[in-house]
Amino acid sequence: MKEYLLFCPKQQDNIEQNMEVNFGMSKNLIWRYLFIVVLLGWALYALMPTMQYERLSNADKTALEEEGKLFDLESKIIKRGLDLQGGMHLILEINVPKFIKKIADHQSRAYYDFMDKVDAIYSENPELDYLDIMLEAANTDSLRLSRYFPTENRKTDNKAVTDNLQKECEQAVVRAEEIIRNRVDEFGVSEPVIQLIGNKRIIVELAGIDDPQRAKDIIHNTALLEFILLKDAEYSQDIINRIDAAVKRTSPGDIAQLDTAVISNKVSTDKEISVSELLGLEEDNGVASDSSVLVDENLAAERPFSALLRNLGWDIGVPVENYYAVNRILTDSEVTRVLPNDLRILLSGKTQKVETVDGGTAEFYTLYFVNREPGLTGEAVKEAKAELGSVSSEQMGQPLVNVRMNTEGTKTWARLTGANIDKRLAIVLDNKVQMAPNIKSKIPNGRTVIEGFASLQEAQDIEIVLKAGALPAPIDIIEERTVGATLGADSIERGVKSALIGMAIVALLIIAYYRGAGLIAFGTLVLNIIFVLAILASLRATLTLPGIAGLVLIMGMSVDANVLIFERIREEYLKGKTIRSAVENGYSRALITISDANLTTLVTALVLWHYGSGPIRGFAVVLFWGIVFNFVSGYFISRTVFITFSHGKKPLKKLSI
Amino acid sequence: MLQFFKNPNYDIVGKRRFTFILSMVIILAGIVSLFVQGLNYGVDFAGGAKMQIKFNKTISAEELRARFSENGLGNPEIKSSGENEYMITINAEDSEDSDEILDQTLSGLDYSLLQVDKVGPKIGSEMRSNSVKAIGIALILILIYITVRFELKFAIGAVIALAHDVMVTLAIFSFLQWEFSIPVLAAFLTIVGYSLNDTIVVYDRIRENIKIHKGKPLSEVINLSINQSLSRTIITSLTTFLVVFVLALFGGQVLFGFSIAMLIGVIVGTYSSMYVAAPILIAWSHKFKEKDEKKK
Repeated sequence: MKEYLLFCPKQQDNIEQNMEVNFGMSKNLIWRYLFIVVLLGWALYALMPTMQYERLSNADKTALEEEGKLFDLESKIIKRGLDLQGGMHLILEINVPKFIKKIADHQSRAYYDFMDKVDAIYSENPELDYLDIMLEAANTDSLRLSRYFPTENRKTDNKAVTDNLQKECEQAVVRAEEIIRNRVDEFGVSEPVIQLIGNKRIIVELAGIDDPQRAKDIIHNTALLEFILLKDAEYSQDIINRIDAAVKRTSPGDIAQLDTAVISNKVSTDKEISVSELLGLEEDNGVASDSSVLVDENLAAERPFSALLRNLGWDIGVPVENYYAVNRILTDSEVTRVLPNDLRILLSGKTQKVETVDGGTAEFYTLYFVNREPGLTGEAVKEAKAELGSVSSEQMGQPLVNVRMNTEGTKTWARLTGANIDKRLAIVLDNKVQMAPNIKSKIPNGRTVIEGFASLQEAQDIEIVLKAGALPAPIDIIEERTVGATLGADSIERGVKSALIGMAIVALLIIAYYRGAGLIAFGTLVLNIIFVLAILASLRATLTLPGIAGLVLIMGMSVDANVLIFERIREEYLKGKTIRSAVENGYSRALITISDANLTTLVTALVLWHYGSGPIRGFAVVLFWGIVFNFVSGYFISRTVFITFSHGKKPLKKLSI
Repeated sequence: MLQFFKNPNYDIVGKRRFTFILSMVIILAGIVSLFVQGLNYGVDFAGGAKMQIKFNKTISAEELRARFSENGLGNPEIKSSGENEYMITINAEDSEDSDEILDQTLSGLDYSLLQVDKVGPKIGSEMRSNSVKAIGIALILILIYITVRFELKFAIGAVIALAHDVMVTLAIFSFLQWEFSIPVLAAFLTIVGYSLNDTIVVYDRIRENIKIHKGKPLSEVINLSINQSLSRTIITSLTTFLVVFVLALFGGQVLFGFSIAMLIGVIVGTYSSMYVAAPILIAWSHKFKEKDEKKK
């Protein structure tokens, strides 16, 4: 049999003698005591701030905060995971397909066909890289990607194009991280974690969030502010006709199916609305001039898109019930490809209430036909301030955001407003129209006011995102974990309770079985836990609920070291050895077993540490340090205690084990 | 002195045919179950949204279910998790716009969100492949460690025992369709570590006894070693079992899956180090002895 022992049993006798020489001497014992005292001192020092913090009342905390000492104290205590203190953990990922479509330059029928194909492959194989799919599809179709995505250095081969796109994606993520950091700072959260993982993802961790939805919106809304001119009415009507035709031609069956519910619903509830109102814009064209016919499904089938809309006089309305149907039609690729390149169709962010013919009210979103290119974007914004409209103004009491532009923005804004007096301009935030006022006069001072917010808080959130800037790419939340503060507190309580009960049970069992020795084992177990907590505080590692479970588990495991030793001592003792040599033999023989057993557990702890995330990593950290300190307290300290009792000036007559 | 076993001398390796068959039956049934009904993946692995909501007024699960289906969320899983407190799970397809839908569904109710776990399907599948990788890497590292410290045959015995523990626990999770979440996975890796601990203690004795009792047949040496470490095995397993049991009782719903997996793991791990890991050494040696004899 091959031998790879750390401590070769053949030399057992030597070790025994050595030990008597070494550890029998009180000088050596002094070094052991010194080491233990230093260790204990460190542990107490490391845990002091945590103990101090735990005893503070809320009033004390406020007082310390005013003195500016709270932060300093908080940076020394054991850090609690989000699952214990409540908070939000998000993983954000750049939406590569959307980003790439956003930066595409030249859009033709072939482009749409190609992107549809790539999208189809991607939706079936979401684990593949979108750009790889694009590259492969382009190569098989012998399509030149550089036609749609020109590169800086005018390279034309497809690989160069996708490499370039890859680079742009990565840069976008890096910029997005910066902007999110700015937004979170503005939002005001203590110790936020914002970090890049890989080249597509960003982790955001915010502790103690009251309103997760609001925080989420602030973080991942693009916040792209645009000032765009509206198309005129005739142009818009032409577009509606085109969409009607496209919907009818391409998939009447699908659309009928999609909207039957919506349409029939409308017929039953909106009977009083006449066709002229429904297809109001068509009156100008004289297509549907008979004004009193009710909407029926046949007509909806004839002009499926118009049938979903209402004329609100000044605006084109989309009844709330039709919102999703309209959205779906507008994003359908068969529809988008019949639209001109210089057009965007947008919906309002909020609904407006309008009185209907029968005196009731109905809620509508508004549909806007605007230029593709914005006249001005949020980059021009220098300052933003949310407030309620002043008493003397038109927007009295309304939440609004006052915007001031930078020098260049001011120039563009003056030119834009001056050249388009009496035209309408949409102020658009993240593709939703906030407001679309008429330009009354030239605005030379670079100021403007944005209205259309539901509350002051919403306006304040917009202030934050406008200040921090727009995200360079669409970002999706792909993982979200939120824990409420109450549940966190509950978890701590449960965790501490379990740990204490577990400790009591272990104490009972081990003291009943091993008597005096059991007491020593229990003492070392408590020390082990103290050491683990101390190292967590020193390293600023995070204690999570699974981490507390880890503490409970290492109680069970650290007992094992002692059990192994004690069983050996008993065996030797029963063979008739002296107390002293039974103890020495027990400890030295058990060491091999303890090392082998613990080192392998250490391996699994490290694997968990590496692969786990958040709470699980917290478990791995505790398990890891629990095993390390098990050698210190379960072996070294307990041995020192045994040596003291069995080798001292008044050695024990009887072994209590 | 209190002793559970005074000079124990049970014939453990003699029962190895029976225990091998028992383990094989459970594992085979588990494999069948894994193929037929699979594992009940939680949102961590399957994707979807899981929300724990506390209502400030009495509301029944039926009423909630009705509200959800009205808003186009067919049939979410709704479980009570306390007084007026529910755990609601929405599958991956329905969870994409769950923020808006949830607002609509619960509008007018006085509630607070205790916990939300929302995992995109992409992350879910990544988690699955990462977990398989993690367990695989742990097993390989352990194989290397034991080969270095002992011998290859010990390492193979240990890894078979570990694979056995993971398979049996997995089988139980599949039979009973318990939710398989990330904490459960952490428990699985801990089981690997724990069971290994047990196995190594027994192996250590075997290694020691092989030198002390030269000439004795291997099966006798192994049986002796298992018996010698029996009281240690029982005490350690008992304490670990009890503390994990406390966790299962008082740790709350977050730790329940972890604790249950650990409880099963402690039992299976103790069993396997006595009845699987050690007897495999005998089976292995027999096989190679035959080969050696044939060579001669």
